[in-house]
Amino acid sequence: MRKKKPLYLRIIMGVILMVALIFFLFPVMWMFLTSFKTQDQIFSTPPILIPPAEQWNLDNYVAVMRDNKGLQGVRDTTIVAFSTALISVSIGALAAYSLARFRFGGDEFSFWIISTRMFPPVASAIPLFLIFRQLEILDTHWVLIIANSVFNVPFAVWLLKGFIEDLPVELEEAALIEGASIFGAFWRITLPLITPGLVTAFLFTFVFTWNEFMFALLMTRRAVRPMTVVISSLAGGHTILWAQIAAAGVITIIPGVLVVIFLQRYIVRGLTMGALKN
Amino acid sequence: MFSSSVTRRRVAFAFVLPAFVLLLAISIYPLLRTLGLAFSSLELTVSPAESFVGFDNFAKAFQDVRFWNAMGNTLVLVIVGVAIQLVLGVGLALLLSEIGFTRVVWLTALLLPVMIAPVVSGFQFRVIYNDTFGPLNYLIKTISGGFVTGPPWLADTRTALLTIMMTDVWQWTPFMMLLALAGLESIPVELTEAAEVDGAGYWGAFWRIKIPILLPVIVIGLLIRVMDTFKTFDLVFLLTGGGPGSSTETIAFYTYLNGFRFFSMGYTAAIAFIQLIVIIVIARIFLVVQKRMRGGEIQ
Repeated sequence: MRKKKPLYLRIIMGVILMVALIFFLFPVMWMFLTSFKTQDQIFSTPPILIPPAEQWNLDNYVAVMRDNKGLQGVRDTTIVAFSTALISVSIGALAAYSLARFRFGGDEFSFWIISTRMFPPVASAIPLFLIFRQLEILDTHWVLIIANSVFNVPFAVWLLKGFIEDLPVELEEAALIEGASIFGAFWRITLPLITPGLVTAFLFTFVFTWNEFMFALLMTRRAVRPMTVVISSLAGGHTILWAQIAAAGVITIIPGVLVVIFLQRYIVRGLTMGALKN
Repeated sequence: MFSSSVTRRRVAFAFVLPAFVLLLAISIYPLLRTLGLAFSSLELTVSPAESFVGFDNFAKAFQDVRFWNAMGNTLVLVIVGVAIQLVLGVGLALLLSEIGFTRVVWLTALLLPVMIAPVVSGFQFRVIYNDTFGPLNYLIKTISGGFVTGPPWLADTRTALLTIMMTDVWQWTPFMMLLALAGLESIPVELTEAAEVDGAGYWGAFWRIKIPILLPVIVIGLLIRVMDTFKTFDLVFLLTGGGPGSSTETIAFYTYLNGFRFFSMGYTAAIAFIQLIVIIVIARIFLVVQKRMRGGEIQ
């Protein structure tokens, strides 16, 4: 049984959560409300917080999705982000296991892996562009999947390494004594125990890729147009289409929200309990 | 555990191979190319010819006031900004870990900032922070009954960098929060409960059980945030363009200016390398800390 916390603590917690919610959600709400405004309502004094009732329609959303390539943007970004997250977490979990449990290559090798994320992307963009042009994969989904994986694999490796190092090694050793192969121990013992870590890594590599802009802009032209590029094109003309950008923003957070809702039950206490009891 | 250490080494290698191949193939060339450029002069606005100049680019950087200013701004964002994200993130994670069935709602809501592409949020914040028609100063004025007038957030050299930092905190605190929450969730309930039953109380269990177990994950989260904040580019690009003056120029933004505006490729490469060295030194310090806290090894 968990003890009930004292009342004062629960009140303080509630207040802090409310303040946090206002701080973190105000810009999101602003974006949502902006997506229903007309162009001249963006810059009015005093600012219009809530647009008039008759404007609560999907005009700006339709404009983005149908007229401004939003549909293609969502499709391309989904393919790229999902593939990158899957590849990064799979490759990352394997490597993390090796680094954590076998200290493969020692600290220097681990460090080299994370150091590939340290290089300023602005500086690596040009050489990468030249490589990809040589490989003739510019303007494909692959180019973005590979480029994003380069920055996300080190993230996944290190994050998962942290989670694996948190686990007592005795559990895997017990499985090995009982005759499991290393991969078996990894697959059946380690992976289930680090599920919160796997989900977190998947969520963030997904979101990092989903929101990535610079590579998307440099390495795609016509065949592939990720959402961030579509959005920036809404500001590229003579006027900045504020309301359409906001509408596109609302659309782009939907997949992330879905991923959180579907995956959050794996970030829960209890999964690890059974194993550690024995 | 294994018949021979050869098997052990082979298995370890097989696990790490995919990551190794990908990173080696894609990261070595950019690194070498940039290193070569750092010792060359290549002014694309003048000519496409590259000439060897030794350490000139590095010498130039050390005398470049604008470079040091950018470095200073970046360190403010990294040290102060990330510290705020850490405290807020871990605090919120602890609160969320105490919440029962409504947690999915809170968690999803608090994670929203991290899901909005900087391209999108940048445009929102440009309006939000606007001095004359932005909602932030309007709300400050209305709520205070007209007594307090908000500052011109992004237009004043005294507040612009703070505003960038506040935006970064807004965007990335949820990241630290989720990492810490996932870390907290992998702590077996029995451990904290046993401690609480033993009379340690909530705070005793917090300091003696939760924080030590959480530390490895937190240190890695911090390292990643420090590295990424060190590369802060898009917020500056979208919100201020480095201004007013050079008050919000970060080192990544200054690198971009040199490469894609002034087309001094040699100098760009040199300052990119200085950044790499600085971040490697910082990361080393983190790893010394992290090394002391890791778990067991399969023999």
